[in-house]
Amino acid sequence: MDKFRPESFLPLTPVAFEIMLALADGERHGYSILQEVQSRTTGAVSLHAGTLYRALARLLETELIEELSEAPDPKNDDERRRYYRLTTRGIAVAKSEAARLEGQVSAARSRRLLKGARV
Amino acid sequence: MRRTLVSFLFSAAMLAYPRAFRKRFGGEMYDDFRRSPLGTVGMLRTLGALAINGLAERRTAAVRWAWFSNATPHLYEPTGRHHMSFDALRADVRHTIRLAVKTPVFTTLTILTLALGIGATSAIFAVINGVMLRALPYRDDARLVNVWSNNTAESRPRNPLSPANFLDFQKMNTTLDGLEGYFAMVTPTQLEADSGAEIVFSVFVTSNLFNMLGRPAALGRTFVAGEEAQVVLLSDGYWRRRFGADPAIVGKTLTLYGTSYQVIGVMPRDFVFPYPGMLGPSGFTRVTSIDMWLPIAFSGPVAAANRMLTSTGQVVRSAHWWGAIGRVKPGAPLQQVDADMKRIAAQLEQAYPDTNKGWSATVVPSIDQSVGSIRPALMILLVGIAFVLIMASVNVANLLLARSVAREKELATRVALGAGRSRIARQLLTESLLLSVTAGIAGLLVMWLTLTTLIAVAPADIPRIDEVTIDWRVLLAAALTTILTGLFVGVLPAVSLATVNPQASLQDASRASVGSGRRRRVRAALVIAEVALAVAITTGAGLLLRSFVSVTNVNPGFDTHGVLTWQMNLTSNADRLAFYRDFFARMEALPGVVAVGGTTRVPLGSTSVSTSLQRESHPLAAAELPEVQFRRAMHNYFQAMGIPIRRGRGFGPTDISTAPPVAIINETMASKFFRNEDPIGQHIRIGSTPTGPWTTIVGVIGDVRHGGLEEEPQPEMYINYLQGPPVSPFIVMRTAGDPAMLAEPVRAEMRRIDKNIPLYDMRTMSSLRSDAISTRRFVLLIVAAFGVLALGLAAIGVYGVMSLIVSERTREIGVRLALGAKPSQLLVMIVGQAATLGASGVAIGLLVALPTALLLHGQLYGIQSIDPATFVSVPAALLLISALAALVPAHKATRIDPVEALRLD
Repeated sequence: MDKFRPESFLPLTPVAFEIMLALADGERHGYSILQEVQSRTTGAVSLHAGTLYRALARLLETELIEELSEAPDPKNDDERRRYYRLTTRGIAVAKSEAARLEGQVSAARSRRLLKGARV
Repeated sequence: MRRTLVSFLFSAAMLAYPRAFRKRFGGEMYDDFRRSPLGTVGMLRTLGALAINGLAERRTAAVRWAWFSNATPHLYEPTGRHHMSFDALRADVRHTIRLAVKTPVFTTLTILTLALGIGATSAIFAVINGVMLRALPYRDDARLVNVWSNNTAESRPRNPLSPANFLDFQKMNTTLDGLEGYFAMVTPTQLEADSGAEIVFSVFVTSNLFNMLGRPAALGRTFVAGEEAQVVLLSDGYWRRRFGADPAIVGKTLTLYGTSYQVIGVMPRDFVFPYPGMLGPSGFTRVTSIDMWLPIAFSGPVAAANRMLTSTGQVVRSAHWWGAIGRVKPGAPLQQVDADMKRIAAQLEQAYPDTNKGWSATVVPSIDQSVGSIRPALMILLVGIAFVLIMASVNVANLLLARSVAREKELATRVALGAGRSRIARQLLTESLLLSVTAGIAGLLVMWLTLTTLIAVAPADIPRIDEVTIDWRVLLAAALTTILTGLFVGVLPAVSLATVNPQASLQDASRASVGSGRRRRVRAALVIAEVALAVAITTGAGLLLRSFVSVTNVNPGFDTHGVLTWQMNLTSNADRLAFYRDFFARMEALPGVVAVGGTTRVPLGSTSVSTSLQRESHPLAAAELPEVQFRRAMHNYFQAMGIPIRRGRGFGPTDISTAPPVAIINETMASKFFRNEDPIGQHIRIGSTPTGPWTTIVGVIGDVRHGGLEEEPQPEMYINYLQGPPVSPFIVMRTAGDPAMLAEPVRAEMRRIDKNIPLYDMRTMSSLRSDAISTRRFVLLIVAAFGVLALGLAAIGVYGVMSLIVSERTREIGVRLALGAKPSQLLVMIVGQAATLGASGVAIGLLVALPTALLLHGQLYGIQSIDPATFVSVPAALLLISALAALVPAHKATRIDPVEALRLD
């Protein structure tokens, strides 16, 4: 494969980016991702199993996230659970996506599309 | 219970996902779904969303597996059935493309053949779609019907109504949501402009007609119900042509016959009314494209000026020139409407026996009224192109079958390695479908080219031909044709090869393989089918050609060469006789002019009018009077037209209005009404009024084909213009040289006579005669092209199968030659075999040709459907072609070297 270039994955779909945000502070299982996204966006981004797992499949394929071979705490969770976490590649992609979004947001600000215009 | 149901629904929704996805994530998804706090509605919505996402995922997976399985590493292992089918499809497609690239000639030929077939078929369908299937440019057009008078006794099934009868139909009907009327003729109207007078073509309509048709104006408005003001509505074409699409046209005034009319609107570009088919036989011009519409009422000066009122102010009931179009009430069947109109007609017949005896009514759907006349011709084209497409497909099937011989070992190897029969069949069908889809795409280009050419060469009198476009129906038909063709050409090779026996094929190293005999029979059958279809098509083309020759050879009763004709309108009420005297003298003085005359109804494509006739020697009741065609002759009309005077005399300068009225009749009228008497000197009276002077017959002229070359002459009488001059005559001018050369001198002379009398519709009589057979020529040309194609395809088919037979029998022929057979014997053997194939094809073809000939019946002229000349020459030609096509392979066979042939093993 060619040299890894995070920009080639941009822009991420909103769902994919939400998942990566949810995974940014550690590994989670599917339902926990759902809950995290739900609570963080207070329901603005509506995820359900269908969209979540299709996005997970794409992220797994492109090796932006990976599945943990074992649950982090085997005592608490039933064995069916699978945990996912960001890969190094995934972190790089998430960072460059965040930077891209920040660029857009500041552009929106400077054009007074967003409150708190700095210019 | 609820849990079971939910779990069941969840499983059902999960079926939308690819199996591998389901296996990998299904458990997690179910857990998440179960944990989510959802109400019933939310749950159902989530399930729906799950299923939709599943389908989307399935599509993504399908695309990836089929095309990019190596490029994209996939998380869940592609092991399911779905994977298999897409993987196989991809492999088949790849294989086909590889094979196609390796055999470019075969591929190109196949695709080209199919593309021509599919493209031409789609083009013909596009014409049929545009002319017959697309809606007329009115709202809810399927409910529109035309109402006609129907006089069975005089065999005039679709005759216009009279204004008074129209009003009664309008009032008394119970099955229509409105019945509106129009003049069933186009009126040349004089428009006075600054640059001089011009002629525009207008139609009078009842003011509510546009509302009933349901089309608003593109600019301005249409008439409102009851509108009687002097207003005018323009057609899009006229507005663009005459006013350069002036957006401010609404509100301006036009001067028609000295009266100001206000323009209130312009109709949309696609709006046509009436279609030529909706016009009646009478009228004053052969022009059928409309420039403007004017409202007409049943009282007032406009009605009186248009002869809608009798001298006592009653609406006219006896003269029939009124068209009627109505909207059927929702759900009322056509028969019910027809019965309703017939009931009204019967009541009117009782109430007004003098005018209405014998007049019933008939109802025709407006679409049939508009395009019904062209339907048989289009059906012929459709059947013809279908035959050609089948032949092209048969040829391609033959090619594929031939190639399958070469591929038998490849496929046998596959079977030996474990490929199932269905797998092999699927591969072959994929190949043929891929070929046909490629051909279909190329066919779109062929369709576009064919359609453009067809529309360009189509005669103008094919109704709605300018409305033909490529729409979704045409594309759908092209797609269906493509797929059907692909299946058709693929199914024989697929069936034939799917049953291949691997052991026998692989053992049989070099000889003609096992099962080739059966395949040869299949190919022979295909060739027989091709020859049969070629016989059918060529017979059709032959019959049309023979009819065309018959029509071309028809003597129209006048000499069409060297005649220029035009129409003009006289407006002023000044002394018309003086005008004509001057006019004819000056026209005859132009250099190169032999004779000039005129008439109210010029033959071939103009209009006609009839009158009832009283004979002094055979008094009859008013309702039983016969009808005869009625025209006026002007100046040297018979001489200018080359119509021979058979008996008596022509009109002379003495037949002026103060002299006793005289008439000249044609031979048909003489033999019909004065069978055993001398018509000269007989007294007749025009019209049904039992008073007035008698007219004396002074001459008999030859019959003229008035309505068209194929129409039998009708009883016809002329009176002289000096005894009542017409206002919008057709002038005919016989010239010594090319009549077209006189067009400009005539116009120049006319401007000198009176610049406010515009000349219009100027044509040579030869072009009128040519136009009279243009639809026939159009159909003939296309069917003849089909015929040539069919002959070529048949020849290629015979050649192909005979080549195969020769190559398969190389060894046998070698043995024969080694044992002393003469080359000439071999030649006879192989050509004879081809002729046998041809003969079988011809025999079947004749059976197909018989119903084809019956389909053509309405298009034939001057010959029988079973025309001996055609039915003998076409089969003979096909036999000859079969034999000739076998000559090359036969010749090759005679040059086989026996030593080489026997060494092959």
